[in-house]
Amino acid sequence: MFVLPPPPRYPSQQAYNNAVANGQAAPMIETNNILSHPTGPEYQLVVGEGTYILKEDLHLATPPPHPSEAPIINPNPLATTPQPATAGTKISLLSFSSRALIPQTLYKVDTNRSATGVSSSIQEHPSEGRASGEVAPSSDGGDTSVTGSARAALSIGSAPAFGEGNSMLVATGKDAGKRRKPKNNIAKSNSSFISRCIVHENLTKRLQDRPADGYFAFANINRAFQWLDLSSSQKAEHLTKILFTKGHCLCHDVNQLTKSSSHIDLIMGFSTGEIIWYEPITQKYTRLNKNGIINTTPVSEIRWIPGSENLFLAAHMDGSLVVYDKEKDDAAFLPEEATNGTSEVTNGEIDPSAKLHVDKSVHSKNQKFNPVSFWKLSNQRINAFSFSPDNRHIAVVSEDGTLRIIDYLKEQLLDMYSSYYGGFLCVCWSPDGKYVLTGGQDDLVSIWSVAEATIVARCQGHQSWVTAVCFDPWRCDDRNYRFGSVGEDCRLLLWDFSVGMLHRPKALSVRQRGSISSRFANPLQRAETQNTVASRLRSNSSLSAVGDDEHTIEHPVEPRSNTAMLPPVMSKVIDPDPLCWLEFSQDSIMTSCKSGHIRTWDRPSDGTHDSEARSSLT
Amino acid sequence: MVETRGGRARDGCLLSAAFPEHLVDWPVPPNPARSSFEASEYGGGRGVVVGTARLSCCCFEACSCVDVRRSVVRAAYFKPKAKPATAPAPPTPAPIRPVTLDAGAGPHEHSHPLCSALLPPISHPAFSITTTLRPSLFPHDKLLVPPLPFLRPIHRSLATLDLSGATSPGVNSPLRGKKDAEPEPEITPLVKMLQNAGPLREDGSDKFFGMENFGNTCYCNSIVQALYYSTPFRENVVKYPPHSPHDTPNGNRTPIVTPIRAPMQNGAVAPGKAKGISAAEAMKRRAAINSGQPAPPATGQRPEDKPDSPEYKKKHAMLAGPILDLTYENAASYGMEESTFTALKDIFMAMIANSSRTGVLSPQRFLEIFKRDNEMFRTSMHQDAHEFYGLVLNAVISNVEANAQRMKELDSAQNDPNSAYKSALTSSAMAMGLISGTGTRSPGTGWVHDIFEGTLTSETKCLTCETASQRDETFLDLSIDLEEHSSVTSCLRKFSAEEMLCERNKFHCDNCGGLQEAEKRMKIKKLPKILTLHLKRFKYTEDMTRLQKLFHRVVYPYHLRMFNTTDDAEDPDRLYELYAIVVHIGSNAYHGHYVSVIKTQDRGWLLFDDEMVEPVDKHYVKNFFGDKPGQACAYVLFYQETTVEAMRKEQEAEGLAEVTLATQEADVALGKTQTNGLTKHQSIPSQPVDTIHEHASLDHAVSSPLPTSPGVAPPPAAPLTPAAPHVPILEPAKPKSKADKEREKKELKEAEKARKQAEKDKIKADEQRRKDLANTRKERTKAEEEEIKRALAASKQTAEDEEKRKLAEGGSANGAAKENGHAQKAIGSLSRAHTVSKSMSRKSFGFLGGGKKSEAKEESTAVEGDSGPQTPEKHSKATKDRFSFSLGRKKSNLFPS
Repeated sequence: MFVLPPPPRYPSQQAYNNAVANGQAAPMIETNNILSHPTGPEYQLVVGEGTYILKEDLHLATPPPHPSEAPIINPNPLATTPQPATAGTKISLLSFSSRALIPQTLYKVDTNRSATGVSSSIQEHPSEGRASGEVAPSSDGGDTSVTGSARAALSIGSAPAFGEGNSMLVATGKDAGKRRKPKNNIAKSNSSFISRCIVHENLTKRLQDRPADGYFAFANINRAFQWLDLSSSQKAEHLTKILFTKGHCLCHDVNQLTKSSSHIDLIMGFSTGEIIWYEPITQKYTRLNKNGIINTTPVSEIRWIPGSENLFLAAHMDGSLVVYDKEKDDAAFLPEEATNGTSEVTNGEIDPSAKLHVDKSVHSKNQKFNPVSFWKLSNQRINAFSFSPDNRHIAVVSEDGTLRIIDYLKEQLLDMYSSYYGGFLCVCWSPDGKYVLTGGQDDLVSIWSVAEATIVARCQGHQSWVTAVCFDPWRCDDRNYRFGSVGEDCRLLLWDFSVGMLHRPKALSVRQRGSISSRFANPLQRAETQNTVASRLRSNSSLSAVGDDEHTIEHPVEPRSNTAMLPPVMSKVIDPDPLCWLEFSQDSIMTSCKSGHIRTWDRPSDGTHDSEARSSLT
Repeated sequence: MVETRGGRARDGCLLSAAFPEHLVDWPVPPNPARSSFEASEYGGGRGVVVGTARLSCCCFEACSCVDVRRSVVRAAYFKPKAKPATAPAPPTPAPIRPVTLDAGAGPHEHSHPLCSALLPPISHPAFSITTTLRPSLFPHDKLLVPPLPFLRPIHRSLATLDLSGATSPGVNSPLRGKKDAEPEPEITPLVKMLQNAGPLREDGSDKFFGMENFGNTCYCNSIVQALYYSTPFRENVVKYPPHSPHDTPNGNRTPIVTPIRAPMQNGAVAPGKAKGISAAEAMKRRAAINSGQPAPPATGQRPEDKPDSPEYKKKHAMLAGPILDLTYENAASYGMEESTFTALKDIFMAMIANSSRTGVLSPQRFLEIFKRDNEMFRTSMHQDAHEFYGLVLNAVISNVEANAQRMKELDSAQNDPNSAYKSALTSSAMAMGLISGTGTRSPGTGWVHDIFEGTLTSETKCLTCETASQRDETFLDLSIDLEEHSSVTSCLRKFSAEEMLCERNKFHCDNCGGLQEAEKRMKIKKLPKILTLHLKRFKYTEDMTRLQKLFHRVVYPYHLRMFNTTDDAEDPDRLYELYAIVVHIGSNAYHGHYVSVIKTQDRGWLLFDDEMVEPVDKHYVKNFFGDKPGQACAYVLFYQETTVEAMRKEQEAEGLAEVTLATQEADVALGKTQTNGLTKHQSIPSQPVDTIHEHASLDHAVSSPLPTSPGVAPPPAAPLTPAAPHVPILEPAKPKSKADKEREKKELKEAEKARKQAEKDKIKADEQRRKDLANTRKERTKAEEEEIKRALAASKQTAEDEEKRKLAEGGSANGAAKENGHAQKAIGSLSRAHTVSKSMSRKSFGFLGGGKKSEAKEESTAVEGDSGPQTPEKHSKATKDRFSFSLGRKKSNLFPS
């Protein structure tokens, strides 16, 4: 083990940009973030409710390559060596204030699904539970129940905690109530994984002086990870910047349950498959899945399980979903046999219900080490997943173009949908949990109804792949929804849809849904994959087949003529680089791009919207 | 036929542009003083030469300064609308008539000013022309001007290896390679992948041949490879013509015997490649050509010396062989006239018939035929792959139709010798759409149409009288305009977006009876089985002086459906899957390199880079969106129809590779590399063998004895030298953990032992070899075989010995998980040990033989096949005489690219 000397720092982004523009290898210098306030009509988004104006553009500095990596001067474009995974800048927002709360009172909804017996309730946690807004959670140590929180009392029927009933999951309760910290100090680390940690000299002062309702942002860029204070006047200066040696942080999430002004639980997933649990205030960290002992493939998405202090879910690129406990040690993982009857594969024929292989169940009694549970969805790369607002389901999208709705409490696959074509890249739930949005390589945003188990509409407007979708909870009510999407086309699109409109398909009034079982039942048809006529006949015949009452898991692709097409209400190029992240807050829309521009677009300031939002809060 | 976007694609324009006498056809006549008549001011050049068959290469030899500047303007294969009838070129049966503007052979002769207008600014004082063309003359269309030749060393062909020897300073002898200890051909990832492949399939779907580059013929290689793996196309090419009594009078189809060229010798020139210039001259010329370019790594290291370079891999592909020399004419056995189709069929058949799965194919004859029929491809310059694709398809169509016509006439007992020619004419005209030939199409000949042809409906609405008219056109591919940060889906939608026909592009309305403004949109009425998308990456600059390449990031998905279908289209939701990409690498349209990345039936994605074939992973396909460094962009995309079921099935099968790959990526990110610099390959054999063989075999490879230095002890090569082709470029020094270091030490020790053993073996082998040398030539072959066997046995023996030893050792060693990983890695190297010793011995002898032979007959033909029949040689000679141009070795020696 050796610690690399810190590379020299230069303040000039100019030198860096020039060098890159001239096609030279990026110089080995480190630059600072740049905050700018571009103005003009091209920095305004005109929508029906008013004009969104670009407030600021925070450009995160791309770190130079690690000194141990020789810069590639003349790359062979045909080099076949695998490249490490990387991701554009994504941001985890954190606010201690209740002001950031999403107005829940708007939603009185029912996600009743008779077929699957999902309870007819909606949890109050909107948008993946990220704004549950508890400043000082009172739940005890390892218990993952949310019943202790004041807000849960309001819920119509709270979902049970993940893994409830498994006594092995309940912590010993020795130091219950005490917030545990990771073990290692990141600033003094001599790990070969972490290159350096640069802490702002006035970190403690800045933390004290900041307004309580301001946003923190955690952002990854290249091999760096930055902690920013968006409420600060010197927001371009990071609070902490961690540089890793080779691994790129691909995803990260903040635990909304345990957050407090003195404690933040952050998890990061890396291109090496490793996971770091990081507490930024005390700058402590713990490595999980160290050296890929549990899973060696990169982590494409990571999220805390809503309502859990310790458990989080990580999507690995080999198609597995793994639940880790931040405080448990790793142990080499071998699939536990026959924990679940659904993992049976008979005669090479894969039963659709077995599309979720439970390699280790949360109910396993063997819970001394990580992983807590291990689900294998497929062998295809998982690109994103999202927790439903009622904390019962996850929607998982993969590179193979499938959307899976999984009851993660029961560890059961409920539905599987296919993209029009190409892989899915992003997914999110509507604040009321009725709809799921996906975006993908077909340039479409698709709206899926969970309760009706069907596609509702396809939203056409992007000119390239859709990389992020998000509902705007401040502009949603029980019948009308506003959502946004960003894509590789550098565009931000805003969409409105209303329930009445959605149930009017474009061409046919009666939608006929084919059942996948009818397709699978006929081996003859499957054999004729090369035959055009047969394939055409088949696709047609499958369309005409009326779905039976029995609930089917796999849903075929709806033809274009049967599906409503939704146009955007706004479409605009908002960044020179492909966008990769989108989030709505009460005051603004935030976007980020592959090269590290974080842009904040203020909502229309005419006041009508503000009052509307406030009235909805009360 | 190919490009039927009437309003937009006006490739025909340049055709008339080339002829002063047709300037009247131009929408706006250019200033004559500036365009056509300036040529005479410059050295009395012969402005325009139409339909010339002159060997355009001669000017290269005459004046390197002209050769850089000379240009050929040509029309792309033009559409029905173009005016071929006005071209005063002699009629040829080919459906496409190119126009060549030739700079002429004299020094400082200048090309037609029109051409120069399309070229980059000229620095030579003799060429200080500032020709401008009116922008309106050049629609934004694909219009390729051939490149400045050979500016980039990126795709030097094998044929130029000896030349590159000449470039290294101080060495002029083409035989200099003798003293270079070339590492033995490693086991390539492709061979590794195919190790456990079952029996050969008859349909040729598991043949993976590289294709030789004759100097800038990569456009051909990339397209032919893509066509070969277009399963329905390949099947039909093989099937056609259906067996009939006319084929062979005795009812038997003569089996194809493809001459197999002896594997390329190290440093030795294939006999017959008599160069017209000395090596020194060539060097000078190259220096002149390369003057504008960054100097190649000067320190005497040739690109092919680096084990990771494509040059190295290509060279070793040639060394490994077999090389199928397609220099013969085989059309008679199909009962057809020799044509592009028969030559293509020859290529396919040769690949299918060969008993080897891998090798190199030399498509010499095919190119000869193709160049015979297409004049603008006769230069050895960079050509447009998409254009080539269109021409080949059109040629295949017309050849097949011509044949059908001929058969019909034969059937009706008309033995007029001219009928075939006439029918060829008719059918070519038909193929060009001059005659609406759908009705006359003979049965069984429409398969090209069935596979590639789709129908576009252009709906035009006159804005004056509001009359909407519809017209159907067929297409063989779609040329789509690109936008920055877009997707193929979006570009296709743009393709069908409404378009205003106004100003110079007005619509002739039959109802109003005049040119009117109109709205037009193109939708797809019939989707083809194979959808070929041509991304228009080459576009004129603002001032219309030259073509620039658009490096727009255009993403393409693995699967596709078309949004822009008409309402009455059949199966509008048809699912397509991407199966081939032709990639252009280079900064502009004038030079560069083409490779193809193709998904094979069950071997996943492969990279075809001329002679080299290499398995790549699925995500490699995403490297050519256009935003990555290295200027590699997807240029032609091939999608084929598929079904959801097939897609799902495949995705399930893909799974394991995917997992391996993701792990690899993670390893890369972790900086985990194996101690010897080898990276894991996709297919890891699973039988456990110990690590020691890895080093032993590497040693074997590096220190293989050369016949010139018999008995000399091999240099003690470092056992950890990265010699595998998969070493990442510029392998950084890795921090090594203690455990790693210990392991390394241990491995070093073991390797040392292994080396000693190997040395002994080698000394023995050397002696044997010397004896063999003394033998007569007749005995040589036999001895060689023996040697191969012996070497194989020896290496097996060594392997067994070492395995035993290691087993004993392994008993004491603890079997940790790490051991496991090592064992896995080692298997590949064991098999490599076998291959290496085998090819080593063969190569050593081959070298001697080659040397002798080249002494014996310096001036033999380019065909070197020992075992091949004599006729092909004669044939190729004859054809060379017949046509004034030649392609291949001679030229490519002079102009490596």
